[in-house]
Amino acid sequence: MTTRINIGPVHPSTHGVLRLVADIDGDTVVNLEPHIGFLHRGVEKLVETRMYMQSPPYMEKLDYVAPLSYDEVYVATVEKAMGVEVKERAMWIRTILLELQRIASHLLWLGTMANDVGQFFTLFMWAFKDRDLVLRLLEEAAGARMFYVNMRIGGLIRDLPPGFEDSARDLLDYLDKRVREYEDFLEKNPIFMERMRGVGTISREMAVNLGVTGPVLRASGISYDVRKDNPYYVYGKLNFETQTRSEGDCFARYKVRMLEIKESIRLVREALNKMPAGDALGMPVKLILPSAKNRIVSVSRELPRGECMMYMVADPQRPYRLSIRSPTFINLAALREISKGCRTADIFAILGSLDVVMGDCDR
Amino acid sequence: MKIDRTELVKKASDLKSQGYSYLVKLTAVDYEQHLEVIYILRNMKENKDETLEIDLDPADAWVPTLVGNFKAADWYEREMFEMFGIDVKGRNVERLLLEKWNGKAAPLRKNFTWNAPYETS
Amino acid sequence: MVGIFVSGYLGLSGTLGAVADAIAYAIAISILIIAFDYIFGWVERKTIAKIQKRHGPTFAGKYGILQNLADFVKLLSKENVVPKNSDKLLFLSTIPIMLALSIFLIFLLPLAPTLLETNIGLGILVIFVLLSFMPLIIFANGFGSGNKFAAISAQRSVVMLISYELPLIFVIAAAGMLANGYNIADIVNAQSQWWFAILMPVGFVVFFIAMLAELERTPFDIREADNELIAGWLTDVSAPYYTLALFLDYTRMFLGSLLIAILFLGGWNGPLLPPVVWLLLKAFIVSFFIMIIRATMVRMRIDRLLRFGWIWLLPLSLLNLILTYVVFIA
Repeated sequence: MTTRINIGPVHPSTHGVLRLVADIDGDTVVNLEPHIGFLHRGVEKLVETRMYMQSPPYMEKLDYVAPLSYDEVYVATVEKAMGVEVKERAMWIRTILLELQRIASHLLWLGTMANDVGQFFTLFMWAFKDRDLVLRLLEEAAGARMFYVNMRIGGLIRDLPPGFEDSARDLLDYLDKRVREYEDFLEKNPIFMERMRGVGTISREMAVNLGVTGPVLRASGISYDVRKDNPYYVYGKLNFETQTRSEGDCFARYKVRMLEIKESIRLVREALNKMPAGDALGMPVKLILPSAKNRIVSVSRELPRGECMMYMVADPQRPYRLSIRSPTFINLAALREISKGCRTADIFAILGSLDVVMGDCDR
Repeated sequence: MKIDRTELVKKASDLKSQGYSYLVKLTAVDYEQHLEVIYILRNMKENKDETLEIDLDPADAWVPTLVGNFKAADWYEREMFEMFGIDVKGRNVERLLLEKWNGKAAPLRKNFTWNAPYETS
Repeated sequence: MVGIFVSGYLGLSGTLGAVADAIAYAIAISILIIAFDYIFGWVERKTIAKIQKRHGPTFAGKYGILQNLADFVKLLSKENVVPKNSDKLLFLSTIPIMLALSIFLIFLLPLAPTLLETNIGLGILVIFVLLSFMPLIIFANGFGSGNKFAAISAQRSVVMLISYELPLIFVIAAAGMLANGYNIADIVNAQSQWWFAILMPVGFVVFFIAMLAELERTPFDIREADNELIAGWLTDVSAPYYTLALFLDYTRMFLGSLLIAILFLGGWNGPLLPPVVWLLLKAFIVSFFIMIIRATMVRMRIDRLLRFGWIWLLPLSLLNLILTYVVFIA
């Protein structure tokens, strides 16, 4: 006999407004149906009524954990439609900011995921505190703490402030130490390992078939990272590895993200060293922008949560249709398959390891 | 490449056997005269994307399902069904994002203006 | 101590004096429990805050010492919502019953060699028999509340029971063997030379872990699992009863710490300070340790706890029993 329990949309660990309807038999999950759409704001429709550069603020609110990344995908799509080249220095700065945003996002994920497996807020608080330091750095660069809107066509709203590089280097040294500490804190805890190892396994074939992206895909042993395989900006000029694990379980997903934080720290350091001087300013918003030349463009970017692809049919001054492939959407679609047969408590470990942001999922 | 909807499943499974086993995106665009459904498949090994496009008549909008070949198509098809009113034959499609909304119109079609009154059940 | 003082002071003797003593003792212990709960609640908030690099309560009173009082008053002023499809009797009676039970169990513990009025013959066994009723009462509450999360929590609490009760009883049996009886005063007196924690370290570890499960503290707070089951069996409990539940939580922790201190850490034995102070100090240190575990550990899954209980705790407790017999008795 199965019991149907309704988890969410108001629940401590559904990462926002996600509703899960779970049929459980004893302690085993028979079926788990995610219900989404509580945060649907119709952004895809909304941008069709806005001029190109009126939309970035909407884009940032999609994924409120990594807003800058989303902003960047959209602006890059518009740039591609207009055929505008990004200035050299702006490319470097964007890379740095994107990687910092990735660190911030992964730190938030780390804290919430530790909470999901029953850690009493300790790692959550530590990770949030460190994330806040990264946000402070981004604030220095962009002027706002969370919703930056600092991408402009062809560049940025402003160059990096003086002293940014030094404070970034200091922060990276500090984070390097902290991340190692977090790893020790969790991986030397046998109960944590027990909760994560062998839970929610996605095999290689299943990962491809389910279409999961980002760290979830890489944790299943598939080495696909847009930054590496289709390099954009200056990723081609930087040394970094695509982090993969072969197990495909919650622990592999955790490990991939932890390694990615370290990789991002290395990336930012290298980019800070190699960054050329020059002009990074983009076109002001008030300027009449060049009209879009390319009718259909699609741009792929590696976001903290996975690959985001924006497919745009462009009218001269506004998008005719903007379709967003949001990484959370497709990762969450896989939840049903992954959680079949797992324990009730594992639902949250798996959900935590998928790193869902409901704003991103519902659009 | 442009294909007809009747040959979609065959074409997709052909591509899948050639290594295009990852469905990146499934979406639709309303060009007013016709609807276009877009499938982007990826070959992970060779790092190549293949786009399949199907033109549909808005009055007779349906496509066959791809869930058999790509499980990733599940939610995409449901979303497309809900947002464009494009029926997916061969599977049971339910609303995904706006489950409780009783409007019948397809929100992402061009004839749906978001501040105009819409037809409700 | 208190009792003798009161009847002597009032000039009462016989039954009347005994009643006066009993009332005075009850009041004194109740004040002690409330004081412990209050102070420990504050210490826990502050220490966990320090561990988590926050400040914790700072606003009410010096170092936020009045914060718990403020929370208490606020929670009491809230409406008590009883869910429509709940069994009102079960839902409303169980938390007070549990609280009364755990306070009663603290009454049964002699806190000093001079306070032996409440020390009954098979004290420790009586206490553990009554303590193992707790999960059953939780079960009743969980089913009475008519909430599925509470029901799951109730089931979990009963399933958990079988994994930690047996090891607890086996370890107590070993302690009883060492002390030559189950009288608490005897057990404490037997530790005047060596603590039982030193004589049977394995038993101490097993008992401590099983006690964590008994007290539903992290990593075994499986039935309260706040990020799976919202608040477990407390999901539908509203503010006034939730206050009682919090009070219950700390009272049980006090009880558990006292039991660990009495059974393994030499009870009131100690130099210089008065016996009561020694016992309370030891209980406080045990509580503090439990709190540190709470701040750092990850929650265990229920099937893992069962496996852990049957594969490790039970054999180890049996081993402890045998070792104790072989080394100290035979």
